[in-house]
Amino acid sequence: MKTTSSKFITRRRLLTTVGTGAVLAASPFRINVVRADEPTIKVGFPTPLTGPYGTEAQDQVRAAQVAIAEFNDAGGLNGRKAELLVRDSKLNPGEAATRTLELIEKDKVNFVVGSLSASVQLAVNNITKERKIIFNSISQSDEINEAKDFSRYTFHEALNPHLTAGAVGRYVFPKFGKKVAFLTADYAYGHQMVRGFQEAGKAFGIQTVIDVRHPLGTSDFSTLLPRIQALKPDVLCISNFGRDQQISLKQATDFGLKKSMKIVAPILLYTGRLAAGAQAFDGVIGGTSYYWGIEDKVASAKVFNDRFRKMNDGKVPSDYGAMGYTGVKVVLEGAKAAGSLDPEKVIPAIEALKYDYYKGPEYYRKCDHQAVQSVLIIESKSKPEKGPADVFNVIATDEPSEKNLRTCAELGFKS
Amino acid sequence: MNDMSQMMADVPARSNSLFDVAVRHRAVLASLFLLIFPLIMPFKALAANILIYGLYALGFNLLFGFLGLLSFGHAALFGTGAYFCGIAIVHFGLPWYVAILIGTLGGAGMAAIIGALAIRTRGIYFAMVTMALAQCVYYLFYQAESWTGGENGLRGINVHVIDIFGLKFDFLDPLTRYYVIAAFVILALFALSRILASPFGAVIEAVRENEARARASGYNVLLTRLLTFILSGAFCGLAGALAALHLSIVPIEMLHYETSGMVVMMALLGGMGTFFGPFIGAAVFMLLENLVSLWTVHWQLIVGAVFVACVLFFPAGIWGTILRKIRP
Repeated sequence: MKTTSSKFITRRRLLTTVGTGAVLAASPFRINVVRADEPTIKVGFPTPLTGPYGTEAQDQVRAAQVAIAEFNDAGGLNGRKAELLVRDSKLNPGEAATRTLELIEKDKVNFVVGSLSASVQLAVNNITKERKIIFNSISQSDEINEAKDFSRYTFHEALNPHLTAGAVGRYVFPKFGKKVAFLTADYAYGHQMVRGFQEAGKAFGIQTVIDVRHPLGTSDFSTLLPRIQALKPDVLCISNFGRDQQISLKQATDFGLKKSMKIVAPILLYTGRLAAGAQAFDGVIGGTSYYWGIEDKVASAKVFNDRFRKMNDGKVPSDYGAMGYTGVKVVLEGAKAAGSLDPEKVIPAIEALKYDYYKGPEYYRKCDHQAVQSVLIIESKSKPEKGPADVFNVIATDEPSEKNLRTCAELGFKS
Repeated sequence: MNDMSQMMADVPARSNSLFDVAVRHRAVLASLFLLIFPLIMPFKALAANILIYGLYALGFNLLFGFLGLLSFGHAALFGTGAYFCGIAIVHFGLPWYVAILIGTLGGAGMAAIIGALAIRTRGIYFAMVTMALAQCVYYLFYQAESWTGGENGLRGINVHVIDIFGLKFDFLDPLTRYYVIAAFVILALFALSRILASPFGAVIEAVRENEARARASGYNVLLTRLLTFILSGAFCGLAGALAALHLSIVPIEMLHYETSGMVVMMALLGGMGTFFGPFIGAAVFMLLENLVSLWTVHWQLIVGAVFVACVLFFPAGIWGTILRKIRP
């Protein structure tokens, strides 16, 4: 472009116009500009981009974009394309609720997918169910399945604590012994995990020797670990999350707990393992919803991983991230199957889905819309063999079965 | 600061300059502003949030700006109002207006308890004691899981229809919801304006300016403080109740000390001791947070820089500085 000497376009005016254009193009508001004649299908995605779970959240967004791209490449819903509207929930339920209101009232989204942390998803769920918008939650919680919080607009693609802890317990207790100690973060997540372990352990006659509770955000476990060590348990279940998990595993390794007992965590986070290093996690057994390494055996995982790698410079998706992909894919495929965006038509379509998008077969149970799926039992490697992302061995797979979930009656549903 | 707040609180001898008329009718003007406010906001839920946090800051400012006591435990009053309102609806199935009343009284009641324990201390000690007591309240609600939902927060405050005098309003409609909330906030604005213009309002400021002199003039300083704290609690409790109705949830984060810190920030940003300043503070605070976080995940950096700039260049707060400039 060349500045002309025309009277009508002065240099200042040109600069202003170009500058404004550039700012507009770079600003997030451009999302609101409708590109096609037909309005796009909007998927709202509140997730805690900032805060302690930022790494997971950003990975969720990347994976969700893969699902959107796939849907659009396949022609959308009769030509209607989809777009993702990401909002930062800041890991605060109040902020998440406000952002969800914004997505529904201002942006008029068709679906809401996302959230991380139990309280945030319950807040979002309360907003969406009141307004009859389908919400697919991709974070762990037991409550969201229960009749009190559930609505027919609620779907839960993530695992729940009962299922995860149960799967790990069923694998670990027969192999490593019946004397079990617990180290637990003192909040809902931790309590639910312990309950899950204990219920799964009943069948094997496990004996709880101690349940040590620590507050969230503990940085020093040195007073707690020797107490556990002195009781000589066979298995130590560490039910905490994020940084707490990294620190407690590190200190447990330093105290030499691994020599006398097997350390088990209900969820081993891929990002957590990368952050804390191989030594702290070495030999720890845990559960996960997804690990990229299953791509050798599961065809759909290979397809998903390759697409993710292509869009993200060869990186592999994390466990929580991958759920962003299925979460979005499920609602879009549901809309496709229903041939409509009307929630009343999409709900039965999603209920009828039998899908295998990234980890093997899944479907939603009718009564609580919980995704019935496999739980992978993984063990952390002492050192990566094939590149830095090669951190876990998948040692077993807890196959999908409704038997592993709490029954509909237990959840408060009347049949 | 001092002469300015006096100017806002006291009605000076009647004169007809535009500024004085505006000061006399500050509640009316503020209300008019609130009525057109949602139209200039990016989205209605944010406008309603600003309204609620503005009221919360207003209640806080009554204590901080007018009485001169810095409380670091106002989240306890705000949160108690929200939880009481929510519990009234979720566990007792009471109608919405009773719930709002219970929330307001809850805030006042909690203020009476905290105030009775903390009011004898001054300055930094008052800040520490209120903060410690607020943490006790936090854990109380955190542990009472069957009532409050604990960590998960209280859900299910589902009010769909606001019925008043035979009229029915759809509370799920964003604009209607805003105006219902605005109606309560406007009532509170008039109440606050009345309190500040009353003789009691003058005593509040007398205590702030010179405690010994106020005592020598025969005023009961301790009682004035306690009463102001309770009034402040009622405003904050009302704000909390409205927040519970607006978001249909009460997250435990509402009782967190960050919520206490936030209101101090809002009052300072807008201008402590001014009538409408806290509102401006809340609006700027929440708008910045919302708009910048849409644009970048490093929003805290930018918002922080703006705060530093405000503190450096507008020590009297945004509204306080504007008032100084336009004052004839």
